[in-house]
Amino acid sequence: MTNNWMRRQQRLGYIFIGPSMIGVLLFFLIPAAYSLGLVFTDYKFMNPNVGFVGFDNINRMLHDKLFYLSLKNTVIFLLAVPVSLALGFVVAVILNQRIYLKKVLRALYFMPYITSGVAVSFVWMLLFQPKQGPINGFLRAIGIDHPPGWLSTTTSSMFAIDIIWIWFLMGYNMIIYLAALQEVSPELLEAAKIDGARPGQMLRKIIWPLVSPTSFLLLVTGMIMTIKTFGIIQATTQGGPGNSTTILSLYVYQNAFRYYEMGYASTISWALFIIILIITAIQWIGQKRWVHY
Amino acid sequence: MRKKGWLAGFVSLVLIASVMSGCSGGGSNGKAELSDAKAAGAVVKLKMWGGVPPEAGPQEVLDDWNKDHPEIQVEYVRYVNDDEGNLKLDTAIMTGQDVDLFVNYSASQATKRVTSGVAADLSTLTDYNIDEKMGPEAENWKIDGKFYGVPTTKSSYFVALNKDALDAANLPVPKDWTWEEMMEYAKKLKQGDGYGFIQNTEPFVDPIDSVLAKEGYTKADGTSNLDHPLVRKWLESLNVMMKNDATTAPLGEQLTSKMPVEQMFLSGEVPMLNIGAWLLRSSNNFTDYPRDFKIAFAPVPRLAEDAANHMTRGGLGDYISINAKSKHQQEAWEFLKWYADGGMSPMAAGGRLPASKDADQEAALKSMLGDKGDTYDQESLMYVMFDNKTPTYVRTVPQEVMDLRSQEYEKYFLDSQDIDTTMAEMVKRHNEYLKSNPQK
Repeated sequence: MTNNWMRRQQRLGYIFIGPSMIGVLLFFLIPAAYSLGLVFTDYKFMNPNVGFVGFDNINRMLHDKLFYLSLKNTVIFLLAVPVSLALGFVVAVILNQRIYLKKVLRALYFMPYITSGVAVSFVWMLLFQPKQGPINGFLRAIGIDHPPGWLSTTTSSMFAIDIIWIWFLMGYNMIIYLAALQEVSPELLEAAKIDGARPGQMLRKIIWPLVSPTSFLLLVTGMIMTIKTFGIIQATTQGGPGNSTTILSLYVYQNAFRYYEMGYASTISWALFIIILIITAIQWIGQKRWVHY
Repeated sequence: MRKKGWLAGFVSLVLIASVMSGCSGGGSNGKAELSDAKAAGAVVKLKMWGGVPPEAGPQEVLDDWNKDHPEIQVEYVRYVNDDEGNLKLDTAIMTGQDVDLFVNYSASQATKRVTSGVAADLSTLTDYNIDEKMGPEAENWKIDGKFYGVPTTKSSYFVALNKDALDAANLPVPKDWTWEEMMEYAKKLKQGDGYGFIQNTEPFVDPIDSVLAKEGYTKADGTSNLDHPLVRKWLESLNVMMKNDATTAPLGEQLTSKMPVEQMFLSGEVPMLNIGAWLLRSSNNFTDYPRDFKIAFAPVPRLAEDAANHMTRGGLGDYISINAKSKHQQEAWEFLKWYADGGMSPMAAGGRLPASKDADQEAALKSMLGDKGDTYDQESLMYVMFDNKTPTYVRTVPQEVMDLRSQEYEKYFLDSQDIDTTMAEMVKRHNEYLKSNPQK
């Protein structure tokens, strides 16, 4: 009787998740398998002749200087994720206290996240203007004679992109952290205060560990989202100047939709998937040492 | 038991990463437009895809046709002539959406579509002789010896000049000038912190294509010719203009600010602009671009010392193909013939003159200049559009080669690498490309 009941419950459970699983299967797993097949072809969009090329695409990728350059740029881009996490946390802690204009400031910080990526890019291009932009105007005013070229030089362009991305992500991180901070028990803080803990100690020993599950969530999703995002880069620099802001996801896009080299683009996108998998696995394993539940 | 748990954990990890990757994806595009149901034997509807905004000519052209041909109605679909736009067009063609006619704006795009079999072969149609109508320059648009479209417009590239500034400096309007002479003009015309010469990014690289179209992109042994001495000359002289002379905009600055070069020219800020016929779309627009000076026109300056050794970009353009899968190819052909032989005259308002010898050139010129004829030096305009006999080429460079070149010269103009490294890298990357794409 118990077994029958459990089996019926299980069947019911499968029925409930069925539509979602069908969606994942149809729109994710099947296309993914198809793209894996493309890795071994020289398929070009609009070209009816498709040939099997074995490991040629993989060999080409492993010897492709642009692939490694894109990988390096992707790593630099990923640096924005922990920075935006830290800044988001700091702002959330501040806005969680009793201060003036709290609601207004929360809305202002969140605004970038819900703004169109193209609008964000356009505004930052104006801000980063080397000669007429307000940022360099300010830097010159405080005595820096040769401020950076930001998006217009190869050495500074990727860091300029990072600044935009940090600004973009910070608001979202702040909102999630604010929610997490509501779960920190005031009683713990009061007990710590009674025992003589200073605000810095309370932050480091109580608040930060208690929101570590949130940090983990934001870190994992931030990493994955950042590796896959290229819209802001496409809108500002199109991967330039030179190749200095071409990240892997943009490189996939260029090969697929600019050169129509679907086979090679699939190869790089699978490499990207493996990289995401490795990074996520590292984070997942690493969480045992710093995430508290 | 522990081993089993590990395997389940790993599979879960893969699924979690997959789902997270999937969930992070971008939004979906809008629905494809459903085609109208056609009543049997009634009105035929054609769709023409082009990159010119409808209000800059196409809509008026189609209104003219639709008024006189109630049995064949043509609708215009705009696509932006960039990566996304061309992808949209190609996807529409490949997925069988209603595309009856489409305009190709470069020979490399046309070649790609011909290779995939989506452009109808027009060489079998004998009631319209494209060579005869469009003249010898139509040859540049043959692909494997055949026409898969009709090149419909005269394609003019020129340097636009502020004639008042030239007169003030006692400089004649050039009809044949070298790169060095252009540099001299830029120095003499430069005022204060302004530039003497500025370039639209579309024809920016044309001076070296002028050389290589003549000399060949590959050497006799099949290797890259991107290390041609005149390529080096172009790189070095432009770098001098950007840095030491400050007579033209630094490339990094121009790219990142998406410098509005037409506006800078039309406001009188910069006296010389390297551009093409589409300038007229803006220069005829006195509402947004009021100006008080006359515009003169000069051919694009040449890098080669010897004029006999020179080709220039131009000839014909706006290569209109009929979709090989269209259900109404005959009607599309009727429209295309009409369009090419003068139906397209309203396009001249945007600088696109009909190429056909049977088109009414006077009407087109009237449409192009409107009531603004007095604001142009018409002698030099006629020269660059009609009378310049310099041999022309059409851009056939594949996008990959365009990109590898621009990536390397951008690094050079931004002082990220020196001239020798730049030349070596261009050659190396071009040779790598040639290895996997032997036809070019």
